[in-house]
Formats: sequence, structure tokens, C-alpha cells
Amino acid sequence: MRRIILSGFTAFVVLFTVAPLLVLVFSSFDDGKFFRFPPRELSLRWFRAAFASAEYRSSLFNSTVVGLLATVISVTLGTAAALGLQRGVLKTRASLEMVLLAPLTLPLVIWAIALLQIYAWLGIGGTLSGLVLAHATFTLPFSVRVMLATLSSIDPGLELAARSLGARPWRAFARVTLPLALPGLATSVALSFFISFNDVIVSTFIAGSSWMTFPVRLYSQLRGQGIDPTTLAIGTMVICSILSVVILTEIFSRKALRT
Amino acid sequence: MIGRGPAHLLVAPGLALVAFVFLAPFLLLVAMSFWSQPEGSLLVDTTLTFKNYIRIFSDAYYLRGLGRTLWLSVATVALALVLGFPVAFWIVRRAGRLRRFVTALMLLPMVCGALLPTLGLVNLLSPLGIINGTLKTMGLIDRAIPLLGTQIGILIGLVQAFLPLMVLPLVAVLDRLPPSFEEAAMSLGARPAQVWQRVVLPLAAPGVLAGAVLVFCAALTSFVTPQILGQGKIATFATMTWQQASLVLDWPFASALAMVMLGLMAGLGGLLAVLRRANWAQT
Repeated sequence: MRRIILSGFTAFVVLFTVAPLLVLVFSSFDDGKFFRFPPRELSLRWFRAAFASAEYRSSLFNSTVVGLLATVISVTLGTAAALGLQRGVLKTRASLEMVLLAPLTLPLVIWAIALLQIYAWLGIGGTLSGLVLAHATFTLPFSVRVMLATLSSIDPGLELAARSLGARPWRAFARVTLPLALPGLATSVALSFFISFNDVIVSTFIAGSSWMTFPVRLYSQLRGQGIDPTTLAIGTMVICSILSVVILTEIFSRKALRT
Repeated sequence: MIGRGPAHLLVAPGLALVAFVFLAPFLLLVAMSFWSQPEGSLLVDTTLTFKNYIRIFSDAYYLRGLGRTLWLSVATVALALVLGFPVAFWIVRRAGRLRRFVTALMLLPMVCGALLPTLGLVNLLSPLGIINGTLKTMGLIDRAIPLLGTQIGILIGLVQAFLPLMVLPLVAVLDRLPPSFEEAAMSLGARPAQVWQRVVLPLAAPGVLAGAVLVFCAALTSFVTPQILGQGKIATFATMTWQQASLVLDWPFASALAMVMLGLMAGLGGLLAVLRRANWAQT
């Protein structure tokens, strides 16, 4: 009996946690103009509207560009830093790691206000480079953490063996360590991209009208005139792509474990 | 291996990024909070002043906002604990093969960012939404309970958003608690309630504390949830800060508001360190 109560309670709480996303996905297939649940007549009307609207296309394009550029910077610098931390002088490691992970500790709202001010002073508020730099910075700790964990699970003896067989340092690294680190790299890329793609707080503060990302557009819409069902369709597509990436990395990492 | 020499140079680009885009703006924020902005001007007067802080702690509007933010954060922690503890216990002891799946489900809304779950919540909480609809069809109410634009609505949103931050540390501590402890207590004649009170809860205390701090800080500085679910009617510290920074354009004052939030978090961290030390001295 107690077991049933505990399981039932857990099911209720888990449902409560995912309910908002379920509601969002189901209502996006409703034909009506209002956000309602359960949907009455099913249609793909809002998905067609999403693809037809230039406004949404451009904001999704902006989000993707910012996300990709930020991911490239974050994963490259994060991997390099993780390598440096792992193979450099041990004495300074703890404090260097703390600095690299620092952006995780400060709430984004507080940092966003600071950024807004320094960006205005530098004159890069609302520009692509400003957005990319900010996104690269708050995704960097995730890349560093994932890559540190990945690199520490790789046997350094393998690279040494390659070198003793005559491979040059870079070649040994590129042919031995890098392929072994691929699952970790894939995880950092996925994490950085989605965290950047979904960010609303930092972007709302620093984005101007010229580089409006999708979350910023959605946020200003929610604050203003209410919900356009088109955004539900886009939200559903975003959720589905996140889900498929999560499932893919799960399969990928299981395969990597087996071999 | 790449040689020792260049190895720590690899850290440099990452450090530079953090220094320029994170640390430098933060230092400016600290300085800014002690500067001021003369009325009707957008130029900042850089003489040192405590004006902004005095204004926050003497103006009833900000004091009420501070009280409201603190109460919402504390209530979020309490609800997250009540809802999260059984879930964490179930994940550790009963989930079995479902464990990874349920954990992933709990984390999914967080991975989707702050906005998409909030968008769903707007529907859930609206007068025509599911909660009100269900209650109406069950005949429990005849008129919709207003949830959007109220503190209850914000509270529901905060708990939904930050519950995983409570569940994860709890799962981590419960994982280290062998079931044999409970069995031993039971076999020595303890009733189930006593087992919980004397064995499970004290041993889970570090996880409870960690989760409570994470949820408290997240709720305290949450910005999207109160802004959207409060529909602009309910001001919390984070929304006030945004208002000052983006609408009023009084950046020194916005900086001071942000620093007060940071001070609250630091104070809590200090309190926690003292508690831990006391706890440690006891055992």
C-alpha cells in the first residue's frame, strides 16, 4: 500500500514537471486561433504558418547562427582549457578551474545587467559579436566540465604508446586521444548549442532589434499581446529536436561503452 | 602527449574570454552600484555614494518587493522539498530500470530553457486552462480561480521550473544511504515513522541543504517566471532590476538591486558554511 502511494505520488510530480511541455506540444496541433487544451480539431496549420512567416524564419535563423558560432568558440576553448588543465602544472589547476567555471555561479540576471552596461560602453550592444561572445562565455563552463570528465576517462598511456612508436605529438593527439574524446565532444556541442539556443535572459538584456533571437521574440510577445499559436508549433519543433538529440547521444554513448 | 611547456598556454584563451566577458563586467557592476545617475541625465556621476542602497532599504516599494521575493523563494524551497523528497526516494529505491528514463523526464523542462515550459504554464494556469477546466468539470468550483497574475501562479511556475534542482542532490545523498540502515532500524523495532525521522532524514540532511540553497538562489533571481506568469502585476527583485535597467535606464540603481540579490545569496552561503561546521563539530 505504501509503495503504491509513493509510486502514485512520484507519477503525479513527474507529470506536473513535464505537463507544461505536453500541453505545449498537444495544443500546437489545434486548428483554433486560441491556445487551448485539449485540442479540438487537429491540423498542421500553425506548422505551415511557422514556415511561411518571414519574421519567425529570421529569428530562428538568428538563434541558429548565434548558437553555432557560440558553440564553436565554447567547445574549442573549453576543450583546449580542459587539455591544459589536465596536462599543465598541477599547482594552479584548482584556481584556474574555478575561474573557468565562475560564469556558472553568478545568476544570469545579475550578469546580464553587468554585460548590458559594458556592452553599451564598448558599443557592441545588440550586435552579433556581442551576443556570440556572451553565449560562448556562459556555455564555456559546460564544455570545460564535460571535456575534463571525458579526458580523465582516457588512458594517457595510449597516446604515449603512439608517440613511442614514432608519432609526432600532434599526430598522436589527433589520431588517438581525439577519436576517443568524440562522445564527450558531441555532448559538449549539443549542450552548448541548446543552452545558447534557448537562452532568453542574457539575450533579452543585450539583444537589439537587429539581432533578435527566437526566445527574445517569444518573450516580448508573451509580455505584450499574448500567444500566437505559431510559436507553439515552433516550440514543439524545438522540443522534438532536443529530444531526438538526447536520444541520439544516449544511443551513441551506449554504443561507445560497448565497444 | 603534448609537451609540458605549451600545455598550460591552452588554458589562456578560455581564461581571457571569462576575464573580459564575465569578470570585467562584474567588476563594473560592483563599481556602478556605488555611483549615481543625476535625474534627467544618462551620464553617470562617478563619485562614491551609498545613495542607491539607502534608497532600496528605505523605500517601501522596494522593501515590499524584497519581502515578496524572499517569501516566494522560501515557499518554493518548502514545496520543492515536500514534492521532491518522495520522488528522489522513489528514484533511488524503486525505479529500477526506469531510473534513467524518469531522471531524464525530470530534467527535460530545464534543458528546454526558461521560456517553453513557461509558455505551457500560461495555458495551464489561464482561466480557460486545464487546472481551472478540470476543477470546473469536477464541479468543485463554478468560477475560474485567477492563477495568472497572482503569487500562487508564480509559485506554481517556480516550483515546476526548479524542482529538479532539489531532486538531483537528494538522489545523490540517498544513493549513498544503504537500504540495510533502514532494515537494521526496523529490525531493532523502530516504526516506519521513526525510521524516517531518526535514520533517513538526518542522513539526507546534506542533500536537503544543497537542494534548498540551489532552489532558493534560482527562485530568488528567477526573472522569466515572475515576469510572464505575474503578467507585470507582481514585482520581484529580478523584475524590478530588469525594469530599472531596460525601461527606466537607471543603471547604477539597477546595479545596486542586483548587488542586493547577490548579497542575499552570499549571506545564505555564509550561514550554510556556519551550519555545516556546527553539524561537523557535533558528529
